[in-house]
Amino acid sequence: MEKKIIKILSNVLEVPQTDLGEHSSQVNVANWDSLNHMKLVVALEEEFGVKFKDEDILELQSFKLIKFILSKYLK
Amino acid sequence: MSVSYSEILKLNKELGGKLSSSTYQVTVLSNCTVSLVKEILEYSLRLEGINALVTTGDYDNIIQDTLKYKDSNLIIIFWELCNIMDGLHHKIELFNEEQIGELFEKVKSEIDLALENLSHSSLVLMNKFTALPFYNSNLHINNLERLAVQLNDYLKNKKWENVIVVDVDKVVASLGREKSIDMRYYYSSKALYTVDFFKDYAEHVKPLIMAVSGKSRKALIFDCDNTLWKGILGEDGFENIEMSAMTKDGSIFSEVQNIAKALYKRGILIGLCTKNNEKDVEEVIKSHPDMQLRDEHISVKRVNWFDKSRNLIEIAQELNIGLDSIVFVDDSSFEVGFIQKLLPDVKVLQVPERLSDYPKMLRENTGLFLDMSLTDEDKNKTEIYKVQKKRENAKGEFSSIEDYLVSLKLKMTIFEDDETLIPRISQMSQKTNQFNLTTKRYSEMDIRGFIQDDATKVYAFALLDKFGDSGVTGVGVIHFDSKNRTGNIDTFLMSCRIIGRNVEYVFMDYLINAMMENKVEKVNAIYIKTLKNGLTRDFYEQCSFTLKEATDSRKNYVLDISQYRSRQINYIEVVNGKKNNKDFVKCA
Repeated sequence: MEKKIIKILSNVLEVPQTDLGEHSSQVNVANWDSLNHMKLVVALEEEFGVKFKDEDILELQSFKLIKFILSKYLK
Repeated sequence: MSVSYSEILKLNKELGGKLSSSTYQVTVLSNCTVSLVKEILEYSLRLEGINALVTTGDYDNIIQDTLKYKDSNLIIIFWELCNIMDGLHHKIELFNEEQIGELFEKVKSEIDLALENLSHSSLVLMNKFTALPFYNSNLHINNLERLAVQLNDYLKNKKWENVIVVDVDKVVASLGREKSIDMRYYYSSKALYTVDFFKDYAEHVKPLIMAVSGKSRKALIFDCDNTLWKGILGEDGFENIEMSAMTKDGSIFSEVQNIAKALYKRGILIGLCTKNNEKDVEEVIKSHPDMQLRDEHISVKRVNWFDKSRNLIEIAQELNIGLDSIVFVDDSSFEVGFIQKLLPDVKVLQVPERLSDYPKMLRENTGLFLDMSLTDEDKNKTEIYKVQKKRENAKGEFSSIEDYLVSLKLKMTIFEDDETLIPRISQMSQKTNQFNLTTKRYSEMDIRGFIQDDATKVYAFALLDKFGDSGVTGVGVIHFDSKNRTGNIDTFLMSCRIIGRNVEYVFMDYLINAMMENKVEKVNAIYIKTLKNGLTRDFYEQCSFTLKEATDSRKNYVLDISQYRSRQINYIEVVNGKKNNKDFVKCA
């Protein structure tokens, strides 16, 4: 799952996978703005086959949060 | 498109770096958020070699943006009914007739203004107004739906020349409302449509864009066994192949043939390319009771055992279209893979494993043949007529053979006394029967002797056209009699593969010119009759030579070189091949 998240982050935010890791977040990745946030959410939903609730969408602001929230849906 | 959005983002970036053609500017104007469309549409078009660059206009700024982006190659308008005013989709149900009428007038004038601003743009795709996201699942027709119908009627009746109305409801219908629309993003950021919707939307409008980019397909070529009928004709036999509308599998093939027939009616060329015995297939076309496609529908046939890439190249040649205008359907993975590898320009469709998907697959691909002229109802009839006529021409002789020859982009490379060609020249002298004026057979030694002889020159030419290189396919041998300022044409021959392109006249021009450069004043030539060379009987007359004497088996000609009349063939480019450095023979 972690690898897949990194891959999606890399594709959407146009950052090499090697520059991303578990500390990546909206704060330290330049392209992670509100427009790309939406792209990221739809990409995550498609790849993992989930549909986030409204309140969770807003929370998907870092690698760790993505992993945490996704795991709730994938249980 | 089964590629995920995340992959599209990555692949689209890579593809963008590879395409070198000039960019195709697409601007999407909208009164809602459509940012997801950008990479999806770019990727879909880039896959087809169109170097698309998609820009999205500002949010809810359609009219101002029409001025800003009017020079784009393509403008797409997402004018979402639900957002023509904030919360319209629920507020409208409380409106009275008068209020709805006012709203209609307002939007109408906005449409007029926007499309007026775009009246010089090359192409505008305007989505139909849709109420689908908000319809009630019952018989009651709500105000939003009514307004959509009114506005769509307005779009339909007021015809803008450069505007094509796109029925987005079809996209939603094939995908389903749940999958097309995501209200979460509508409430948070006024984005209505999902990634899946935009993927399908891109596929939906792609044929239009292909057509205006001159990339629409013109011919549909079928394999036969298990493609037009069930079974293998050569093994199962005439009686047992199946395409009857009355049987389960047969009805599928019957439907497929009817889809092809309908395409034929639209002016699409239908053809066959199959490994089969010609006689067997002819018999099926002519007299099988269940066959829908008959000779009148089929423009071109290659029924033989040659490889299909060669046959498809010939088909393109015969129809005078490019390989990138061909769609080929076959059931065999081998053939499909083979053509995809050898002729990547040909669009290859494989009969699906689940046979019941076959007609649907074909129907979905009929967009490949979209002809812009056919979408305009007014032009419909004349256009069909025109296409029909073009087809008739392509079928038999071209309206002008010259046009066809011009399209071949023929290039003739001439070699003089080239020793590396000795084996080929000798071989041609021994094998060429039809276009051979004297039919003199020469060994490699003989040819070498000519090349080394100062008084003899050996000319050979290779022919190149847009389909490829025919290699060395013509030879001329001239003996120079310098004392009498005379040139004697000993040999003039050409492979039958290249007959019919008027190459012989250009080669003669070249030889005459070469003789003139060598101070020749008079040319002697002979036609020696054989059982097979009747084709060339009057060749020298056609080249303005004078007949001196004739017997049953032989005609002797002479030409005063200053009186030579060239046929002035100007569509064959002549270039010099590698020249031998042998001293040029000069007439005194």
